[in-house]
Amino acid sequence: MTRDARAGMVAATVIIVPVVVGLLYTASASVGLTGLDAHGLSTARLARVSADSQVWRAIAWTLSTATAGALLALTAAVTLASVVRGTSIGDRAARWLAIVPLPIPHVVAASLGLLVLGESGLLARWTAAAGWVSIARHLPAITLDPWGIGFTLTMAWKETPFLAIVAFAVLATRGAQLDEVARTLGAGRWATFRRVTLPVLVRALAPATIAATVFIAGSFEAPIILGPSDPLPLPVLIWERYGDLDLARRGDAYVLILIAFAIGIVGAAAVSWARRWDLDAETR
Amino acid sequence: MWRGDPSINRYVDEWVAPRVREQYGITLNTVPGEGAELVNDLVVQRDAGRARGTVDLIWINGEAFANLRREHLLYGPWASRLPAAALVDSASPIIARDFEQRPDGYESPWGTVEFALIYDSARTPSPPRSYAALADWIRAHPGRFTHDQGFTGLTFLKGLMYARAGGVARFAGGFDSTRYAVGRDSVLAWLARLTPSFWREGRTYPRDVAELERMFANGEVDFAMSNNENDVVTKVRQGILPATARALVLRDGSIANAHYLAIPYNAPNPAGAMVVADFLLSPAAQYEKQRPEVWADGTVLDRTRLPIEWQRRFAELARDPRAVPDDTLRRYAEPEVDPEYSVRLLDDWRTRVRAAPAPHTR
Repeated sequence: MTRDARAGMVAATVIIVPVVVGLLYTASASVGLTGLDAHGLSTARLARVSADSQVWRAIAWTLSTATAGALLALTAAVTLASVVRGTSIGDRAARWLAIVPLPIPHVVAASLGLLVLGESGLLARWTAAAGWVSIARHLPAITLDPWGIGFTLTMAWKETPFLAIVAFAVLATRGAQLDEVARTLGAGRWATFRRVTLPVLVRALAPATIAATVFIAGSFEAPIILGPSDPLPLPVLIWERYGDLDLARRGDAYVLILIAFAIGIVGAAAVSWARRWDLDAETR
Repeated sequence: MWRGDPSINRYVDEWVAPRVREQYGITLNTVPGEGAELVNDLVVQRDAGRARGTVDLIWINGEAFANLRREHLLYGPWASRLPAAALVDSASPIIARDFEQRPDGYESPWGTVEFALIYDSARTPSPPRSYAALADWIRAHPGRFTHDQGFTGLTFLKGLMYARAGGVARFAGGFDSTRYAVGRDSVLAWLARLTPSFWREGRTYPRDVAELERMFANGEVDFAMSNNENDVVTKVRQGILPATARALVLRDGSIANAHYLAIPYNAPNPAGAMVVADFLLSPAAQYEKQRPEVWADGTVLDRTRLPIEWQRRFAELARDPRAVPDDTLRRYAEPEVDPEYSVRLLDDWRTRVRAAPAPHTR
């Protein structure tokens, strides 16, 4: 084994061991062997969770809002990267401004979302002040809403800088030459964007978009602030079960954590598949 | 302890901590954590065989106490041996029983509170004073009332269950599933009639009481509520609630309970914990805690057992005009019942009301 390979193995072990230990504990707790109110091997927790329609609705809500949020962020990142790709001061300032939200924590982003989009938020107050709606609360409610519109918009805003950074880098390294070739071959601006820039960006951003989907699906602070009480977002449902007044039901949280973990694993597999897809396309 | 209220944190960190350090050389290190979390942490520590834990004194009541006792996770008995325990108002049913459970020396009382609705006297000059009047008010003002999904909302629903069954006495004396089923069905029927007139037609509920308070302060709803009848006084002083906010107790009865301090089975320093618990029961600490500009948390001491000087000071504690008068509080106070009623009612509300489509769309 080379030194690099050994270092890689050590790093991977350091990362993977705590995950495996946690997973083993969670798995054994899911079948009643460890953890709260454990009474020996039983499938009661698995049966109770899989028979609960709240669980399936929670998964559907979390996956659909996370996908929608990531796709919106992808659209915004592609648009930004294509529009402000020059070297002028304005373009550079716009690129810098676009990534400002990057270090904002999820809980702050969610509170901002509530402040702007909430029933008595800035948006409602401004439209009321402008006379578009008679009173602020006549606006359609988009926070704590069953469709998760406020949550999706806030998460899209939060993930856009992450995808925009990747998009800026892609266009700076690969974009210029490809565009030039296309233009030399006689393609117009729109054709260049549609046939060259867009496919390059989408393929290069696919892994990051999938990662953003998993980030959004796994975030707890944002859905607890912006999400509805029905359906409950999956991370909120896990938290609620873990603190259930009935000690016997707290164990159900372990099963839900396994489900969330499975979603993460599928996401990780999809990221590596998307990365190969991008590399294949690039080397072709 | 629960660290969600800045005035409580300030009392513990800035008033209690320096005094126990000065008087007893004890460093009081507060860490966040509440009911369910504490139980889970202690179960995990027990499973992991940790004989020496990390926490010496925990702030609990009701279900958490029941769970901790059942799982044998508390140190004790110790509480009745505290010197200051002699001053406690042991005749009060609210203090002597924690959700009908005998503390048996495994927890020491710290404070008492009573549930109250909060309204804005400028917006709602004549508020409803019974559950029946509240129902009429909700129907007449659609979209202006809701409760939260947490403990405060649960207390509101329990109060509703008692009121509709004709009083808390029906549920006293341990859990009874038949009596519970009747009470629950009556609550569900009331909600089925009224949730269409709730905020957002009862399709969604604020996560916790802090969110409900924010909605009330922003004029999104016309009522907030609190498990502490004096919350309105401290929150107005902090500028969180409008100056015209007032508290009221419903005449059907209002749930009062006490909160307690307990020592985990694996506390590294139980002796230090007992000294702090004793200090917290001292007239000076209880008086400071009850001051409206501090926490406004009711005392657990029997004033007649105090030195005359302290009797006078407690009597002089300025009553804020926003608060509910003492005699009203006492007249309508009703105790908590077996924690199983809370467990079942919350679960039934979550599955049959919150997760169900609103009745008018069914």
